[in-house]
Amino acid sequence: MVMIDVQNLRKDFIVSKKKKGLRGAFVDLIKPEKEIFHAVDDISFQLEKGEIVGYLGPNGAGKSTTVKIMCGILQPTSGSVMINGLSPAANRKEVVSKLGVVFGQRTQLFWDLRLGESFELLKRIYRIDDNLYQTNLKLMDDVLQINEIIDKPVRQLSLGQRMRGDLVASMLHSPEILFLDEPTIGLDVEAKYSIRKFIKEINQNFGTTVILTTHDLDDVEQLCSRIIIINHGKIIEDGPLEMLIDRIAPYRYLIVDFYKLPEEINHPEIEVMKKENTRVWLRFEKNKTSAAKLISDLSLRYQIRDLSVEETKIEDVVRQVYKS
Amino acid sequence: MLKHVKHYISVGAYSLRMSFARQLEYPSFLICWVIGNPLNYMMGVWMIGVITQRFQALNGWTYPQIAFLYGISLLSHSLSVLLFIQTWGIERMVIRGSFDRFLVRPVGVFFQFCIDYINLIGFTDMIPGVIIFVYGSSVVNFEWTFFNTIKILLVLVGATLIRGATYTILGSVAFWTKSSRSLISMVHALFERTTYYPLSIYPTVIQVIFTFLLPFGFISFYPACEFLGQDSGFDFPLEFALWTPVVGVILEIIAVSIFNRGLKKYESAGS
Repeated sequence: MVMIDVQNLRKDFIVSKKKKGLRGAFVDLIKPEKEIFHAVDDISFQLEKGEIVGYLGPNGAGKSTTVKIMCGILQPTSGSVMINGLSPAANRKEVVSKLGVVFGQRTQLFWDLRLGESFELLKRIYRIDDNLYQTNLKLMDDVLQINEIIDKPVRQLSLGQRMRGDLVASMLHSPEILFLDEPTIGLDVEAKYSIRKFIKEINQNFGTTVILTTHDLDDVEQLCSRIIIINHGKIIEDGPLEMLIDRIAPYRYLIVDFYKLPEEINHPEIEVMKKENTRVWLRFEKNKTSAAKLISDLSLRYQIRDLSVEETKIEDVVRQVYKS
Repeated sequence: MLKHVKHYISVGAYSLRMSFARQLEYPSFLICWVIGNPLNYMMGVWMIGVITQRFQALNGWTYPQIAFLYGISLLSHSLSVLLFIQTWGIERMVIRGSFDRFLVRPVGVFFQFCIDYINLIGFTDMIPGVIIFVYGSSVVNFEWTFFNTIKILLVLVGATLIRGATYTILGSVAFWTKSSRSLISMVHALFERTTYYPLSIYPTVIQVIFTFLLPFGFISFYPACEFLGQDSGFDFPLEFALWTPVVGVILEIIAVSIFNRGLKKYESAGS
């Protein structure tokens, strides 16, 4: 079942170019120079119910703009977004009642009040009945320990606690779709862990479709079955993470510590990437050969002290995609 | 429909509670206003008293009559501060992208926006408003009949809407230009000049402007003319007590539709 259908979506912003100095200011006043910036430039994709999709791209690529159009904050210049068959531009209230939205950089909680007050307001806004409200709060408490902080004023919460609060706030009405814009930004390991666990659980238990924009590739690796990469407003990759890695960087690394660094390592399936003292980083293509075979080949010829095998860093893959 | 109204009332009532709780977190801030605001308006009306008593009545208006007019104006001002203060800051909200939060929730955006901060400071304007109005109405022998009471209430509702709608329309300019704060300051000054004094002291052209173009005359001047039997300079069919709420409602409808049109231009803020 298609949950989100984005077709030929475009969003232009008009940016005025400023000239230098006082004279420039006068010229700008009389004849302003305007430029059209294509923040989102002809994007199409479809998301199925229950998918967790990582929406990646460098800063300024158009990620947040797309998310904001999908949840009805911005109006598209052209093209269409359908959420469960409805357009957020035309049926805002109906569409947003099925959405949960978290912007990691900004909170939707009331700064001066205890966390619970914000939840109570949302309960009324979304017309959540008492039973569902209590059930959901209980569920959130199991994963995010929300009861520990529910009576604290939001301004006294740590960043991680506040993010837990924001996540709960976005899920109280059991939305079918959850938009998370950088939910783990600036958080410590423990907080990241519990937030990822939460995302996984609501996806499994409720079949919530999750769209996640992030710069933390561990998020992507641990959560997303599919990634969409966008740059300069266009989609440049769309598919499962493994497929992307296999296509762009089908490598693994063999890190070998020798007793004595050999002059040269000659092997048809190996490429030497880096040397450091007696340690060497060797790259091989994982569908051509196996680590076991290489290890046995090498140990026949050299004295090996220690070794380990490393997967391609997804960071490197993504960096390569951004660059191209 | 009834379900709809109940929904909005429950959201509104809870927001009101939260607004109060939020502001009571900062008592010293409130105390400053409780002292400063009444002082400011009591001195304002005192000044008019000095002027009218030392020199002469303003264009046929005696001091108690002006106090009556001033009272209506100040009461509607305090109500508009209570309910519409958010519209003064549309510029800041547009620049910071603060409308995002309202746009992702299934309740009207303008409603959420206004109700998000019910400003307690409005009450500090209401204190001098009540004092001055009670003084004025007792000295001019205003008759508190049932119909007069209803009329006064209708006038106050209409006048509050005229003020709120004006702020909303001017504030919404920020959706297109990213700047509207100075328009709000300007209109504050205009409200003061046109609603605390009889409009008839100004030249006809000014009276026409503030009747038909910017209908501020309906906030306090025209209703006061009727209640006090003063000459308004214009002949309108029906009573002013009816015109003020009609003008208020029409202006508010226009204001909300301009606000909603502005929201379509809203660009949020980068994150």
